[in-house]
Amino acid sequence: MITLLEAGLLVFIVLSALMTAILRDVLAAIIVFGAYSLGMAVLWIVLRAPDVGLTEAAVGAGIMTVLLLVSIARTTRLTGIELRPVEINWGVAALCGLFVLAILATVPALPDMGQTVGNPVFGEIYNHYVTMAYEQTHVENVVTAILVAYRGFDTLGEATVVFTAGVAVLTVLRREVDA
Amino acid sequence: MIEGPVSTILFAGALGFVTISIVLLGRILVGPTMQDRVIALNVVGSNVVVVIALLAAAMELPAFLDVALVYALLNFLMSIAISKFTVEQGGVL
Repeated sequence: MITLLEAGLLVFIVLSALMTAILRDVLAAIIVFGAYSLGMAVLWIVLRAPDVGLTEAAVGAGIMTVLLLVSIARTTRLTGIELRPVEINWGVAALCGLFVLAILATVPALPDMGQTVGNPVFGEIYNHYVTMAYEQTHVENVVTAILVAYRGFDTLGEATVVFTAGVAVLTVLRREVDA
Repeated sequence: MIEGPVSTILFAGALGFVTISIVLLGRILVGPTMQDRVIALNVVGSNVVVVIALLAAAMELPAFLDVALVYALLNFLMSIAISKFTVEQGGVL
C-alpha cells in the first residue's frame, strides 16, 4: 500500500513539474510550483526524513513563492498569452529524456534503504564520526559537528557564496528602485 | 509501523487524498481564472496536511504531526501572498 502511495505522489510531482515548465502565465507557474513543492515535501515524509520535508516546505513552498511573487511585482508580468500553447523544443526534450534515462540507470547500483552491510555510508568514517565527534569537537549534535568543525572551510565557502549572492541581489533591486 | 487492516485503511485514505490532489492539478492547469488556481492550491495544501496526519497515524510516528502543523501555517501564508498579489498588483505581504 505504501508503494502505491509513493507511486501516486511521484505522478503528482512529475505532473506538477511538467506543468511548471509548460504554463505560459508566470503567476500560474508559481502556483503550480508551490503544489510541486508540497508534493515533494510529502514524499520526504514518506521516506522518513521529516527534517528535510520541513526545509522543503519552508524554502520551496514558503520563501520561494514569496520571492518569485516579489520578483514579478518588481518587474512585469505578461498577460493575455495564457491561451497560446507553449512551443516545445523536441530536440532539447529528447536530450533531457536521455539524461533522465542515464541517471535512472545508476539507481540499481544504490544500496537498499536501511541496508547497513556493504553500504559505504556505514563504513569506517561513519564509526569515526559517531564515536569521536564529541571528543574532538565538543559539539553534542553530530550533524552540526560535521558541518561546522570537520567541514568548517566548506561551510565557510558556502556561506561566502550565499552572502555574495544576497549582496548582489540587494544591489540590483536597489538600482531598480532608484531608477 | 503498525501492521494489519487499520494501517492499510489509513494508507488507502492517504492514497485517496493524493489522487484528489492529482485531479486538482487539472484545475490548476485549466484555470480559467487565477482565483480558481489559488483555491485549488489551497485544497492541495489542506490535502497534504491530512495525508501527513494519516501517515503519522499509520507509521506510528507522532513527530510527523508537528510537520503537518507547519504545513498548515505555510499553506495559509502561500494563499494569502498569492491572493494579495492578484488583488493589488505589486503588494505581496
